Order: sequence, then structure tokens, then C-alpha cells
Amino acid sequence: MNSTLLAVKAVSKHFGGLKALDQVTFEIRPREILGLIGPNGAGKTVCFNLISGVYKPTAGEIIFNGERTQGKAPHQIARRGVGRTFQIVKPFATLSVLENVLVARGISRYNHLGKIWSSWKSRAEIRQALEVLDRVGLADLAHRKAALLPLGNLRRLEIARALIVGKRLLLLDESFSGLRHEEILQLEQLIRNIRADGITVLLIEHNMRVAMGLSNRVVVLDHGRKIAEGSPQQIQQNERVIEAYLGRKGHSHAA
Amino acid sequence: MNAYLITIATLICINAIVACGLNVIVGFAGQISLGHAAFFGIGAYSAALLATKAGLSFWAALPLVVVITALIGLLLGLPSLRVKEDFLAITTIGINFIVEAIFLYIPFFGGALGIGGIPRIMLFGVRLKGLTFFLLCLFFLLLVLAFCWWFSRSWGGLACFALREEESAAASMGISPVRFKLLAFVIGTAMAGLGGALYAHYIRFISATDFSFPVSVLLLSIVVLGGMGTLWGPVVGAVILGALPEVFRPLVDYRFLFYMLLLLLMIRYQPAGLLGEGSMVHRVFSLLLPEGKK
Ligand SMILES: Nc1ncnc2c1ncn2[C@@H]1O[C@H](COP(=O)(O)OP(=O)(O)OP(=O)(O)O)[C@@H](O)[C@H]1O
Ligand SMILES: [Mg+2]
Repeated sequence: MNSTLLAVKAVSKHFGGLKALDQVTFEIRPREILGLIGPNGAGKTVCFNLISGVYKPTAGEIIFNGERTQGKAPHQIARRGVGRTFQIVKPFATLSVLENVLVARGISRYNHLGKIWSSWKSRAEIRQALEVLDRVGLADLAHRKAALLPLGNLRRLEIARALIVGKRLLLLDESFSGLRHEEILQLEQLIRNIRADGITVLLIEHNMRVAMGLSNRVVVLDHGRKIAEGSPQQIQQNERVIEAYLGRKGHSHAA
Repeated sequence: MNAYLITIATLICINAIVACGLNVIVGFAGQISLGHAAFFGIGAYSAALLATKAGLSFWAALPLVVVITALIGLLLGLPSLRVKEDFLAITTIGINFIVEAIFLYIPFFGGALGIGGIPRIMLFGVRLKGLTFFLLCLFFLLLVLAFCWWFSRSWGGLACFALREEESAAASMGISPVRFKLLAFVIGTAMAGLGGALYAHYIRFISATDFSFPVSVLLLSIVVLGGMGTLWGPVVGAVILGALPEVFRPLVDYRFLFYMLLLLLMIRYQPAGLLGEGSMVHRVFSLLLPEGKK
């Protein structure tokens, strides 16, 4: 149990006739950064949605921290310490940036009817929410309405919320896409710091330099199947991986 | 003349209380309800029955009325809130018609004759009517507003706002969508129950049509006009829609048509309502008080 935080065992997800995921197996060890890559439509986001409870697998098992979690609802999985971002950002648009983060800070309360009546406008709560915003570089915009932020800042907001929820495992779905070069560098450093805090990270990334630079290990999906797994060096030389990428769309550099 | 004004003000107060409840469901949690009058009616009928058949005083019955209405809200909300949004509108309309039919066709509820002889409310040995009854309604309206204010600053309220904005993101932060939608529904229907009890003891003769579908449309118009999700919106909406038919007497027969039209126009041109963000009133105020908020 200690050597595996999350085990995905022969998991399939079919949508009608489409096999979005087909018998995929991989594991994540505590404190590692695992990269999940693959061409468009490979099934990466579907995989996140299965782990975070948005979808139920058609077949297979998902074990998180020693417990079968497939079939559990998203809010139940979140409560077990799994935080996630969304590839298509989902801010709480009319709330402020600070309030967006506070929503996540309520996670320990939402399950207890007695704990939801106190006010979230306390000084201690706001200070701690600001600290998280500071970590992702959004503290200056705390009182801005989330709907007004540009995409780069919305991605950081997603990370801030996911950081609070993801005490054990963090799922980042293309958090780097749409960011400028210096933003990418900052975010890379942030993710390294997060790992240093003892949090495990599963990362979907199209930018190969980022994915290979950050990940300890990489899992490659194509057409819903796992086609390779290994260290970044092994993956970069893997014939099937090169073929999968070249076969589809020239070179893969969607930054 | 004075008594006439007090009558209108009292009914506005009662409408505002019920609309505040609807605002928690629609404005805070983002769940459409087109059947709120059903719960207004359930409150009124339970209060009427507890007073006339069980002989309870208003004060003894009130907690029961609120609990009964909220429980029925819970029971009806549980299956309704699991359906997709467009169905929720239809489901709640259905609830309204079924509840009205039950009042109308089951003899226990007085049938077509309704329930009469509902006693006045006594307080400190005084029989409340006219101004004193209005003050009682105003007191309960302030209580309801205080609760809404409190709820909007509570973690539960924040969870409802998050659900309204992005359900899947809210769920990824530990918020159970069904549980918090139900919470809003129960709070909203409890307020409708309170409003119903006051209505029954004010009108003292109630019948099923008092709580028919057009009343639900009126309540929704009040909330949309005032500003969904704002604190004072339901009060502003209730005042405007309560006073308008009195000002334009000839309009009275076309009231329902007018509310429908208003609802459509507001949703098209001022979806945030009079008090919501980005509305005309809001813009004028932010011009007057730059950086006034926050
Ligand atoms: N809810 C759904 N219903 C039907 N098909 C779906 C659904 N979600 C995903 N798919 C399909 O599953 C396949 C995998 O999609 P997925 O979103 O996981 O790809 P991805 O690897 O994340 O790609 P990208 O890099 O473009 O984000 C695609 O063919 C997609 O159209
Ligand atoms: Mg994807």
C-alpha cells in the first residue's frame, strides 16, 4: 500500500461503440510526478475523469490509497485528498478569485451539516486563502471577479483550488497550455515545490519539454491504449511513441 | 384609505417572505423552480388545518407548519433535483398542479370551498389586525432577510454559489450537488411555509386557487425583477409588483400576462435584475460611489 498511491488496473471506458480507454493499467507511487501524454483524443482527460469520479469505468479497478474508489462520486473522491484542474477551465465566474479559493477551503466542512453555518468571512480563513493565492501568483488579483481573468490566470486559479483539495494527489490537466514562457517557468518551479511538500502529481501535458522535464516517469496513451511507460529518456526513444506522434500531426509542440 | 395601504403593504411583506425563499433556491443555488406557490399553499393549508381542526394557536402551530412544509420540500426535492435543469422547470410546474389538485379534490382540505374561519393571531392578549398584523409580517420579513444574509456568508451558502456557477468544479471541491441543492430547497420551502401561515391567518379564508401556477410565476417574476441572488432583490420586486396593479387598476385582469411578459423581458434585457451586478441600478450606484464595494 505504501509503494502505490494510486493503481489503475485494466480500466476501460466505452462511450457507445467508442473505446475511449481500453484496458489501461498504471500505478503512481507516493511523491512522484507521473506524466500522462498522448496525441489528441488519446483518452487522457477521460482517464482523469475516471480517477476523480466524474465517470464510472466500464471495466477495471481503481485503487486509491488502498481503497477501491471507482463508482464513488467526485465529491467523495475529493474528500480523500484528490485535487484536480480542468482542461477547459471552470471558474466560479461571478465569485471573486479569493472566494473561488475559499470554496475549496470549505472541503472539510461540506460533509458535516453542523459545520456549514459559520461564516467564511473570517480573518484566518482569508489569510490562508491569500497564502495559497500568493503561491500561484494571484494574490494581487484576490478581489477581482474570476470572470474577468485572462486564461493564464484562470489556470493558476484552478491550480490554487486543486492545491487545497489535493492533500495527497494532484491531477493537472494541461495546466501549462496557453501560458507565456516565463509563466511556464514559474509553474514548473511551483510543481517541483509541491512535490517537495510530499504531494504526488499526475500531469497531462502536451508541451514535451515541460512533460519530460518535470516527470519522474511517463505513461503514453494512444487511441485509448497504453503504448509505453518509462523514464522520460526511455519514452523519448520509444519507437511506438514517436510513431504515434508523427503519424498523427507532424511534431507535437502545442504550447 | 389607510387600511387599504396597510392591506397592500401586508400582502407585499408576505410575498417578499415567500420570494426570499424562492431566491435561496433560484438565486443562491441556481435551481429553477416554477412551483413555489405549492409550498406557499402547503404552509397556508397546514396552518389553517392546525388552527381550525386541531385548535392550535398560531404560535404553537408555526414551528410545525415550517417543519411540515420543509419536510414535504425535502421529499419532493429529492427526486426533482436529480433531474437535469430543463426537466426541473417541468417537474416543479407538475408539483404545483398536483398540490393544487390535492387541495381542490380531497375533502379533508375543504375541496372547492377551501378552509374558512381561520382565527386571527393573538399576541400578548392582543388580536392582531391591520397595522399590528403588518408589523408582525414585517418582523418575520426582517428575520428571513437576516437569515438570508447569514446564509450568504456561511460555508453552506458559499457551496450553493459554487454549485450555481459550475457544478462539476464544485463537486471536485467536496461539495455534494444533491445535498446542497436539497439544503437550498428545504430552506426555501420553509420560508414559503412561514409566508403561507401568515397568509392563512391574514386572509382567514383560503382556497386552492390562491396557490395556483400563476402565483408561482408571480413569485419568480418578483425574484427575477429584483435581482436573483441578491439580498434585497425579492423585497424590491415584491414592492414593485405588489404596488403596480394597484396603480394601474385596469391592468388587473391581465396581471398574469403582464408577469409573463415582464419575466421574459427581464431575462432578455436585464438578467441580473434591478439590484444584480451589471444592472442599471448597480451601474448608476457604482458611478456614484466609485470603489464603494470591497
Ligand atoms: N462524455 C463523452 N462522451 C463521448 N465521447 C467522449 C466523452 N468524453 C470523451 N470522449 C471521447 O473519448 C476520446 C478521448 O477523449 P479525451 O478527452 O480523453 O482525449 P484527450 O487525450 O484528453 O485529448 P486532448 O489532448 O485533446 O485533450 C475522444 O475520442 C473523445 O471524443
Ligand atoms: Mg484532454
